[in-house]
Amino acid sequence: MNHKINLLKKELKKAVIGQDAMIEGLLIGLLCDGHILVEGVPGLAKTTTINALSQALGLDAKRIQFTPDLLPSDIIGAQIYNPKDHSFSIKKGPLFTHLLLADEINRAPAKVQSALLEVMQERQVTIAEETFKLENPFLVMATQNPIEQEGVYALPEAQLDRFMMKLIVKHNTEDEELEIMRHVANKSFTDIKPVLNIQELYTLQEEVTKVHIDPELEKYIVQLISATRNLEKFGMEEVKHCLMFGASPRASIDLYKAAKAKAFLEGKTFVSPSDIGYVIHNVLRHRIVLSYEARAKGMRSDEIITKIVETLAIP
Amino acid sequence: MKHSLGKILFLCLHLFWLQASDFDYSIQVDNPQPYAKEATLVTVNLKQTNHDIVLLFDFDLLKSDEYTFQRVDIKELDAYHAVEISYTYLVYPLKAGKVDVSFSLTQKATTDESVAYSFSGDRDNVKGLVTTNTHIDLPSLTLDVKPLPSGTELVGDFTLDYQINSHDAEAFEPLPIQIRIKGKGYPPLLKKLLPKEGNFTRFTESPLVSSTSTTQGTINTVTYAMALSAPKSFTLPTLVIKVFNPLTQKSYELVVPKQTFKIHPLERSKLLDKVDNPAAFIFDWSWLETFLSYLVVFVAGYLFALSWKWQKKTKQKKEPLKEKIQHAKTHKQLLQILLSQDKKYFTSSIQKLESTLYTEENIPLKQIKKEALEKIQ
Repeated sequence: MNHKINLLKKELKKAVIGQDAMIEGLLIGLLCDGHILVEGVPGLAKTTTINALSQALGLDAKRIQFTPDLLPSDIIGAQIYNPKDHSFSIKKGPLFTHLLLADEINRAPAKVQSALLEVMQERQVTIAEETFKLENPFLVMATQNPIEQEGVYALPEAQLDRFMMKLIVKHNTEDEELEIMRHVANKSFTDIKPVLNIQELYTLQEEVTKVHIDPELEKYIVQLISATRNLEKFGMEEVKHCLMFGASPRASIDLYKAAKAKAFLEGKTFVSPSDIGYVIHNVLRHRIVLSYEARAKGMRSDEIITKIVETLAIP
Repeated sequence: MKHSLGKILFLCLHLFWLQASDFDYSIQVDNPQPYAKEATLVTVNLKQTNHDIVLLFDFDLLKSDEYTFQRVDIKELDAYHAVEISYTYLVYPLKAGKVDVSFSLTQKATTDESVAYSFSGDRDNVKGLVTTNTHIDLPSLTLDVKPLPSGTELVGDFTLDYQINSHDAEAFEPLPIQIRIKGKGYPPLLKKLLPKEGNFTRFTESPLVSSTSTTQGTINTVTYAMALSAPKSFTLPTLVIKVFNPLTQKSYELVVPKQTFKIHPLERSKLLDKVDNPAAFIFDWSWLETFLSYLVVFVAGYLFALSWKWQKKTKQKKEPLKEKIQHAKTHKQLLQILLSQDKKYFTSSIQKLESTLYTEENIPLKQIKKEALEKIQ
């Protein structure tokens, strides 16, 4: 099965140069049935990656540009009156897809964000009196722009918890950017062919669940999450005032699943501590709430996570 | 004056009754042969004789260099068609010999209607009293003025008092002197009371004059305020003012006796005006002091900023991650450190560490450390 993953990665590389972390994060989300929040400046191939992934998997992909005047019905759909036969019909919104790119999610007001985040959790949409189940897989990749603070509606911490991982997308290296420039200028990007189908994806998801994880590592995961709630207990007195809230049980679940998926992507049949270490920052950085004191000191949530990993002994 | 004028009032009375067309007038003089600067009471009486008209008079003495005058009384019987007015003047002839006192008289004739209209007219349209003015040439009054005795400075009955607060002073310290002349007579104003300079310097101000004229004469109080200043002790000579009293026809003297003032010498430095004196001619180096203080503050700030930067650099140079890697004693410790960093470039080191920890492969810790440290650089 790892062969299929390699094929998928290779196919994605045709359209996306660099951004390995984002691709890997998306694959982890896809394999674990989780959603991904991506933070990065514009122009870092977020849409391209989603489109490439949908083409490579033969899945349907849609993009919603979130704006301040967006309404919930614009994304979930609405009941429309037909004057010919005096009946109502359901017009499904762009949520009815496999891969959804929610671009600049923090530009839309809270009611639209809530509508999307509820759908992400429930995986079903109710329009008028009719409820529709969303087809599997359903992956939302939402983006946030970190450079603009005016006219944005920050996602509440409770809503953020519904994203499995938060990825920080950075600029490509100079060599990668040179390659991108040449490819785009020469229009030399080749077409992406489907290398997986939905059934095969389901199989991959099934395979991920079968990845072995040692009970000691399971306890380690729980301890890592527990440490975010009580730093003092694990001997981190110096940073005990830096956290307002720790991670929720969803974090344990997502870290568990993400570690398994990471191990699977690495071609392993078991989870090692490194798999947890690779994904823990992505899983936790949007789930822990820094205190005012920590923010005043200019600390970032990643520093706290690093401190926790450094402190807690690996099994 | 009270006695003199009263006694000689009728003795020296010259009475003139003259007839004009519409009125009669008379001029009375209590002393037609006064001394120079002796007060003479002149009374002019005007009496309407034409009762058919309304008469008004505009009367005064004409100004002259030969005499001064002051109106001291006026009596009016202000009835229409029968006006009687009496003007009384105190005249001081200023020179000896014949002095002509001239008059100015204007007769203003009007009617009852004009008077009534001038009072009853609308307030926004008041008309003045319409009169027919006629200038009357009255003959001048000639006074035969007797000369004063030689050296006379004041004329009248005066007393003198003076006030000197201190006769001791420091050099150039002002010594105030006040001399006051009081009495009845021609105002006792003197052009020069004390010599302006001798072995002292005199400071004066205009004399303070208070005069009240009545039919009995002029009562005066003149105060001379002065100050003397000298570098050393000096004597103010006796001050003698020669006065002639016309009533007694005798001369007398007002005297300020000789005054000796003791001046104590003063150090020259104390004479400097420390409030308003110009600044001493010393080169002002205060700008240099200010400049240097600013320079010191600037350099201190600059050095502090540099030290901050150095401190920061030193801190950066410390690179805690490197230290942590170097201090890791076991493979597991190193794995923990590298995992916590979330850095992709540690992947191969992590893989090697896991191989050592969880498989039978054994890669030396030192080698992995070296590899990890190279990745950081």
